[in-house]
Parts: sequence; structure tokens; C-alpha cells
Amino acid sequence: MSHKSLEDLLRSAGNTAQMLRNSEIGAYVYPVVPAEFSNWRDEQRAWRETAVLFDQSHHMVDLHIEGPDALALLSRLAVNTFDNFTVNRAKQFIPCSYDGHVIGDGILFYLARNKFVFVGRAPSANWIEFHGATGGYKVKIEKDDRSPSNPKGKAVVRRSYRFQIQGPNAWKVIEKVHGGRVKELKFFHMDYMNVAGRKVRTLRHGMAGAPGLEIWGPYAQREKVRETIVETGKKLGLVQVGSRAYATNTLESGWIPSPLPAVYTGEKMKAYRKWLPASGYEASGSLGGSFYSNNIEDYYVTPYEIGYGPFVKFDHDFIGRNALEKKADEPHRRKVTFAWNADDVAKVWRSMLSPGDHYKYIDLPLSNYTSSSYDKVLSRGKMVGLSMFSGYSYNERSVLSLGIVDPSVEIGSEVTLVWGEEGGGSKKTTVERHKQIEIRAIVSPVPYSKVVRESYAEGWRSAQA
Amino acid sequence: MSKQSLEDRLRAAGNPVDMLRNSQIGPYAFPVVRAEFTNWRDEQHAWRETCALFDQSHHMTDLYIEGPGALDLLSRLAVNSFKTFRVDQAKQLIACNHDGYVIGDAILFHLDENRFSLVGRPPAINWVQYHCETGGHDVRAERDERSVANQGRRKVYRYQVQGPHALKVMERASGKPAPDIKFFNMDVFTIAGRKVRALRHGMVGQPGWEMFGPWEHGEDVKAAIVEAGQAFGLKQVGTRTYPTSTLESGWIPSPVPAVYSGERMRAYREWLPAQGYEGTASLGGSFYSNDIGDYYLTPYDLGYGPFVRFDHDFIGREALAKMGDTVRRKKVTLAWNSEDVTRAFGDLFVKGDAAKYIDLPLANYSTLPYDRVLKGRNTIGVSTYTGYSHNERSMLSLAIVDVAHSEPGTEVTLVWGEEGGGSRKPTVERHVQTEIRATVGPVPYGDVARTAYRPT
Repeated sequence: MSHKSLEDLLRSAGNTAQMLRNSEIGAYVYPVVPAEFSNWRDEQRAWRETAVLFDQSHHMVDLHIEGPDALALLSRLAVNTFDNFTVNRAKQFIPCSYDGHVIGDGILFYLARNKFVFVGRAPSANWIEFHGATGGYKVKIEKDDRSPSNPKGKAVVRRSYRFQIQGPNAWKVIEKVHGGRVKELKFFHMDYMNVAGRKVRTLRHGMAGAPGLEIWGPYAQREKVRETIVETGKKLGLVQVGSRAYATNTLESGWIPSPLPAVYTGEKMKAYRKWLPASGYEASGSLGGSFYSNNIEDYYVTPYEIGYGPFVKFDHDFIGRNALEKKADEPHRRKVTFAWNADDVAKVWRSMLSPGDHYKYIDLPLSNYTSSSYDKVLSRGKMVGLSMFSGYSYNERSVLSLGIVDPSVEIGSEVTLVWGEEGGGSKKTTVERHKQIEIRAIVSPVPYSKVVRESYAEGWRSAQA
Repeated sequence: MSKQSLEDRLRAAGNPVDMLRNSQIGPYAFPVVRAEFTNWRDEQHAWRETCALFDQSHHMTDLYIEGPGALDLLSRLAVNSFKTFRVDQAKQLIACNHDGYVIGDAILFHLDENRFSLVGRPPAINWVQYHCETGGHDVRAERDERSVANQGRRKVYRYQVQGPHALKVMERASGKPAPDIKFFNMDVFTIAGRKVRALRHGMVGQPGWEMFGPWEHGEDVKAAIVEAGQAFGLKQVGTRTYPTSTLESGWIPSPVPAVYSGERMRAYREWLPAQGYEGTASLGGSFYSNDIGDYYLTPYDLGYGPFVRFDHDFIGREALAKMGDTVRRKKVTLAWNSEDVTRAFGDLFVKGDAAKYIDLPLANYSTLPYDRVLKGRNTIGVSTYTGYSHNERSMLSLAIVDVAHSEPGTEVTLVWGEEGGGSRKPTVERHVQTEIRATVGPVPYGDVARTAYRPT
């Protein structure tokens, strides 16, 4: 019998952690965009040294929210303040469960009076949609789902294209494309620019301390827009980034894309679980890594732990507020970057070249093998943190991962990360039989890169630093 | 204005080697099919241990050749004998130029009386199409180009099931015992209520099948095979894994087509477009010569000696007859030294000069990979197709070496990476060359090679 809702599915599965750890959904795919335009090493270098074009048209959900109650709805769901939030601004929107655990995050664009679009992974979009549909708000919500992971050659159509122009030469590229000076607004403010004779909407963004823009418009115009930017940017070293390199940019900038959504437990979340389908992201997303607990709540994180503390504002009523008020003054685990020991990483590679059992393959440049990754981090044999997103940076010449550590763990200290799953590995299709290995790592700041740390002062990701 | 030809392009470029080595085409794409269905390690296991399903519907060009003159024309272009070639048979067609160097190879299916299809990389197919269109033969050729992203529709689907359980999967999918036919003979199966034409195939000694039929039936047929394969551990193979299967079976997909030089090939170069495979393919690796002729390979080099039959007249016959039986070079598998590979990988963690990145499981970074193979300081061969086999737990490459150094167990050295920091190919990051030791093994590489020759 097929299940109707996530709640049905969870009830019949028994243990949620076990269900998600053995999900057979496969790898989390960044769809449609070619794997590499040139090669991922040079594509990574370009965002540090020249300029890049990210094609973000396919991997995120766009949720269009419109109506007189839209702002009230969104404010009710976000830890963020909505004071001073006006048209032509955007914010990193963080919704939490009633218990104050993170459901997800994404970017909320204030497009026009009573008109917003949320862009991000599914969990936050689903949560907004649910409240829009059931909360008695006067809003109209339209979902433009991410592109299929496996389009099988069929044409993919979305409402909008979405590109970013980033890197030290980004602003020069932008002004050349625009054909004149483009005013450098504040971070996350919105404006317009000209691209190939069209007025295109922009969001002021930035990477590694250099200003950049996110731009979007009707999907049918994407190739013309792309062509113009690529052609214009050529002389300034602009490089298109493929899907292999794309997701690794966060290793240097420090955003954790994939905490497990805190929706699987709690009486107050039950109505939501009954509303969620049995085949969505929450039901079929995979969970993996060396951290293992039968209690799914052990995978939840608070906004304080993953660097969103400065966004939590008790100036409005929102779901999770009571719980977060209690947590606010407690000591929090905090977000860090782990720089993996090169010799230990080489050991993993070396084991692939010997007969018999080997260690879990570290795919380059992105080495996650689940939708949500949770690897144990130890200090003197005791668990002190979690590693949650891992890959290789050619700019830093290091495998890096993002995660959280206990307050007592100091920057610069050496910890041990357990790589691979217990007992030969779970049933996830991305997991070949393997053995676990301990990899030494240096606890490092977020964002990791020296450049970013020193010149990204205004940025949202470093707001806490 | 007339369309540019390959000949125009070559004339403008000056040297074909420099043109190809700095091609801006980027990575060779295997379109449409997803990168990994499960993970490439387990997908590689499947063809050795259970059963693998390859979706070959998208990456090859198909040429349909029809007419009373078809057989004669094909025979005239192939080193192979056509004496006993009947309907419901297939053969690996090897086309050479007038000097006996390989232009390309492809699989030729004898579909009906006077009707054939030729399937493979473009060089052999272009050559055949050229002769169909210009040779005054009574034939018609129709081309079905390989898929590009977002289009994805072909005339036929094409799947292979391979591995020890392939036979059982085919029997379960068709509900009948499989016909007892020979390698490269065809029969008809019924799968999912559809007539499926199947070619008896095989990898590393195991029976396998290649299937094709009308595009519209493709999804149903695939679903039925996947369903039937569940009990036998069938795994679908993604595009990251698929091209590495040849490292274990030993076919070299990527000789430089011998079309860039020679007066007698000029008319062909004038017919070929500037933007086709021959004009845009990228050439890469540590083997470098200013003379494109040094990249050409003979059928003997590539292991096709047994196919060369002087029982018919064909282009290249005279030259090949002169080369005769004195085989100077031999196709081998190189098993790369694990310590040296690990050292090259270790460069990823050091600031400064690094070895050329070795991508897994397929490590080619050009359409036409050519790496130098040394014994001492002497170049004794070229290594072409390169990647990692999880079945063998080794980096392997397919190479052509002097007979004197082709004995399994021979230690040789391979130069990995390009000279001078690397060519301008987009797939090439700045790097330094490094030497990697390798052990010569047989083709196809197998258990025997691993246990008998490779040091542990």
C-alpha cells in the first residue's frame, strides 16, 4: 500500500533515522548544468582570481508568495526581523520548528508590495507553502519546482533563469555588460541592470570580499543573457562554472546548505507531517555519515549552532520563539571549517589502489554522498562536533568541511573526523562497501579563506564572525 | 559563402597537431544518461560480478546505409572480409586510409538485404558517408546524429546487458530461453510486448547482449529489463562509469583518425566540415610530435590484425600488404604503479606545481589521449585510454608498445601530463609532468594479469 503522507510513512517505517539513512534516492543532484565547462580546478580558481558565472537556474525551488498577508505569514515563520524589510531588499530567511530547530533556509526576495519569492532547498519552501495553505492567510502561493534530477534528455523549462556573476573581476564584467557605471548598492539590496538591451533585475551579492550580482528574468531569455555575459566577460577571465565545482564554493564561504529539516518529531509538527507527501524531500532525502543515532532529534541543529544567531530577533512573534528565547543564553555549539589532514586523505586514496576493503571513496571536488551529511568529530576519543558538508578546494589545496563543534573546542586545535559509515555502510545507493577511517583535521574559522575572512566584513555569512 | 571545410581549417591552422592539441571543445560528453545511478564503484562491480545495463542510446552516431551497392561499398572501405557476412550478423568494421592507417572503427549491423547500420564514433561513419555520397555507388545514407543535451531523441534506443548474470536477466525479461547463437549474430526477443532486436555480445568471456528497437519502445523495454534484473543484482551504469568498461575489455575508442595528411585524402578533407569531430576533437597527453603522421596507428597496432583479410579489394590494401606480418607494436594494458599514482594525487594538497589531476574513474582529458611510454629514456610506445578500475583496484590504460617490451610483467614508465605547463585545452589546468611506473599486462586485462604480473 502506498503512503499518503510523511506521517504515514514515518509510522510504518518505525525508526526515522534508519529510514533516512537507508534511503535509496541516490546522490543529491545539481541538475541540467553540465558537469564541467572547462575543468573544475580552473573553475574554482576563477572565483578567487578572475570572475565566474554560476548558473543557479535549476537546483532550487522558487516559491512565489503574493497577497495582503504575505508579509505577516513570512514574518511568523522566520527568526529574522522584518523591521526595515522593504521592497527591493532580500534576506536569508530562517524558519524553525516550534522547538527552535532549523527547518531550512533560503533567500527571500521582496519583489514588490505584497509580492515575494523564496528561493532555496525544498524544506523551507514546503513549510511556507503549508502555512500559506492552512493558516488562514490571504496569500496566493505558486511553486516552481527545481528541475528534475534526471530529465532523460527532455527539455527543461522553468519560470526564471538565475545567474550569479562573482569574483574579483565581477564588477568590471557587470559594468561592461551594462554599458556604464553600475551603482554598488549595499549587500542584499536589489536593483536593475541592462543585459543585451533588456532591463534585468539584480541582487547585490558578493564572494571573497568582491562585489557581485545575482540576476534573474524569464527563462526564455536565459541563453541570450548567458551568451552576452560569457562573451563580454571573456577578456576579464570570466569562466562558467559547472555542476561539479558549483556546490563547492560554499566550502570557502561557509554556508551549510543541508542541515536535516527538524520536522520528523513533535506533536505540534504532526499536522505538517500529515500535509507533507510521502515522496517529497523530507521523506526520501538521504541521511548519512559516521554520526549515528537512533534518535532523529540528535541530528537537529539550532540557528545559533550554524551561524544564524545574529539573525534571531525577538522583535516579532514567530514559530520557535519561545524555545529560542530559552536557548539564547545557553552555550552553543558553533560553526567552523575543518581542514583535513593531507596524509590521511592520501591514505583513503591509496586504499583504492590495493586489493580488499578500502575506505569510503572521497569524490572530488564534492564528496557528500547524501542529502544531509553528518560525520562524527572527536577529540581524545570524545565526540565534540559534526562535519556536515565536505569537498575539496583547489584554491586552498585542501579537503575542507563545514560543521559545528562544542564551545570548548578552539580554533586551531586538531580533532579527528570519522569518515565512512559503520558496519560496512548503509544501504544508500551512493555507498559502496567500505571501512571507516579516522582523519585528522584542524578546526578553522568560517569562512575559511584568508581573503574572505579579511575582506567580507559586511557579508551575511560572516555576520557572526 | 560556402561552408568551411576541414581542409580550410587545417590550412588556416598551419599544423594539425597544434590545432588539435589546443582545441577548445572541452570534455568529451556522454549526453543525457545520468552520471551515476548508484555509485561508480558498485556500477563497475556489476559487469564483473552480477549484471550491468548500459544505455548506449545517446553517445554514438548511427549511419543507415541502403541500396544494391551497399555491400560492395562497405567491403571496399573495410579491412574486414565480407565473404560470409549475412543478414542478422554484425562486425567491427575497420576503415583505413590509402597508406594503411586507421581512420576509425564502428559496429556494422547487417539489418536486411542491402540494408545496414553503422554505429560508433564519427570518423569511420563520416568516411563511409562520404563514399556513399560521392562514390557513384547505388547507395543511400541516412545519418542519425548523437544526442545533445535537452534534445535526446534518436531513431532507436540501444542497450547492453553484460556480466555473469546477463543471460539469466535476458531470459527473465523475455520469458524464454535465450537463443543459442554465436558472438555478433542477431536474433529477436520479445520484451515488454515489444520486438527487440538483439546482438549476441560479451565482455571478458561472459555472454552479453546489445539490444535496439524503435525509440518509442525504449522506456518500456528498459523498465522491463531493470525489473527482470532485480533478482540478479542488475545495476544501471551511468556515464561516469560506462566509458571505463573498455579498460577491462581492451577496445581503444580513440585513435587519431588518419585523415589530416596525404594528397589522396584531400578531397575527403574538403568534404568534411570544419566543425565536425575531425576538426574539433582535442588531442592531449605527453606524447608530442609536430608530425600528425606520428599519431596514426595501423590495424596491427590496435590489435585488429586478425580482421585484415586480403580476400577483397579495399582502400589501404596495398600498404597493409607491404607492412605484412612483421608486427612491430602490440596493444597492451598498463597497470599503473600505486605509489606513483598516490604521489601524483598528493600534489593536490601542496601549494605550487602539481601533477595533472587524475580524474576518477575516467582520467582522459582529451578526445584523443596520447601519453608517452618509456623504457629507460627511450620512447617505446603510447598510452591512450586511461582510468581506474575498482574491479582491479588499479589505474589502467590501454597502450601500444614495441613488441620487445610487450611481454606481461615488463616494467615501463609513463609520462603523465603535458609539456610546458600544459596546452590551451579547457580541460587542462596548469601542471607539471610526472613519471609514473607501470607494469605491462595483457589485453583484455583480467584476474590472471592481476595475480600473475602485478606486484602487490
